[in-house]
Amino acid sequence: MIRAIELNKISFSYKENQRLFKDLSLTVYDGEITVISGSNGSGKTTLGKLMMGIIKPEEGSITLFGKESSKMNLGQRGQQIGYLFQDPARQLFASTVYKELSFILELKGYDETMIQEQVSKMLDIFQIGYLKDMCPFYLSGGEKQRLALAAVLINQPKYLILDEPTTSLDPKRKQILSDILKQYREEGKGIMLITHDEPFALEHGQRVIEIEGGMITYDSKFEA
Amino acid sequence: MIPNSKLDPRTKLAMVMSLSSMGILMNDIGIMLGIFCITIIILKLLKVSLLKILIKLKRILYMVVVLVIIQSIFVKGGNPILELGSLTVISDLGLQKSAAFLLRIGIVIASASILTTASYRDIVQGLVQWKMPYEIAFMVSVAIRFLPTFMEEFRDASVALQLRGVDFEKIPFRKKLTVYSYLFFPVVSNAILKAQELSIAMEARAFRAYPFRTSYLVLKMKPLDYIITTVSFITAVTGITWYYI
Repeated sequence: MIRAIELNKISFSYKENQRLFKDLSLTVYDGEITVISGSNGSGKTTLGKLMMGIIKPEEGSITLFGKESSKMNLGQRGQQIGYLFQDPARQLFASTVYKELSFILELKGYDETMIQEQVSKMLDIFQIGYLKDMCPFYLSGGEKQRLALAAVLINQPKYLILDEPTTSLDPKRKQILSDILKQYREEGKGIMLITHDEPFALEHGQRVIEIEGGMITYDSKFEA
Repeated sequence: MIPNSKLDPRTKLAMVMSLSSMGILMNDIGIMLGIFCITIIILKLLKVSLLKILIKLKRILYMVVVLVIIQSIFVKGGNPILELGSLTVISDLGLQKSAAFLLRIGIVIASASILTTASYRDIVQGLVQWKMPYEIAFMVSVAIRFLPTFMEEFRDASVALQLRGVDFEKIPFRKKLTVYSYLFFPVVSNAILKAQELSIAMEARAFRAYPFRTSYLVLKMKPLDYIITTVSFITAVTGITWYYI
């Protein structure tokens, strides 16, 4: 299996004398769904942010698909790894739902027909077509969550990090997300799920890692 | 050292008003340089870290440098220093005007940094005790309170946008403006939403229910405050009057 993200002896602290991670090493693989669980404040979200380079480790190194993360800028990391924030409202930028999905493709220079096709596909998959002319800031929590995830996936990243993706999703929408994740896995792509949602984690996780106080307390692989 | 924590916020406001007024109204480079040096000395005496201010200003430093260059190019007159054919690109007068602009910006920012040594609640109380209507003082406090939040939101939006695969370095110049519009949209929208929530919260807590307000926090000026405030205002009024007569 291809090593997607590798953490090599990283140390990180938010405050002096309050070290969250010390010499933490972890590798997550492509083509596998890895679940990161743990109690509040255990460092799950921080781990995701470190992997994306939103925050930088004090010691140690991180590689993304074999390339040193510190040598890449945020945009380059974002092209390889899709990241869904815990608060999806943080990653919405455009004045309409349609524009939210299309503007990245426009910036990348895709032609209009291709953009329309891709956007329509995402609107259908996430069942948000009826919202396409709405301003994203006035959507409900669940709608924002679906839109943010659609916006991440339209970029076709090689790997996904989803921070609490099931928050504010009703059972029907959770099932849609489940189907999308399964399809994504079948395509051979890897996903890291940071979640408290145990049934969802057990349904999808092929590897479950538990973190407590910045340390890995459990790491096991099993068939989902 | 000035006992920073002991200084009344009104004293600090008086210093800021005097220094920035002199910086804006006086155009002589020598005088402006003097005012700038005095401001830096005051900041050192108040134990304000100049390095931290510079780090905070790092983002706008690029913009200031561009403005300085544009100013030096578009000022007509003076003796040419650099010419391209018949076009004067840089003249001594242009450089002089740019230096004055740079010093003026420096004075305003450095003097405003004096206020970072006081809590925003104290500043508002100072304004209220200067007989400023509470509603206006409250607006000032809200602006001061939310400015760092908006700066943080702007930084967060910039990170989140890049994580969507937007490589700022590779975006063509004509598309950069579009990218910046996407950055401002969530910040402005959040500001509007926050203002709506804040106004509801204020109504819910009976803001302006009574014509007068009392305050638990009452500021008291000490002799040193009176001395500094008086010296600040007298220096500013005398200096500006002397400059214009």
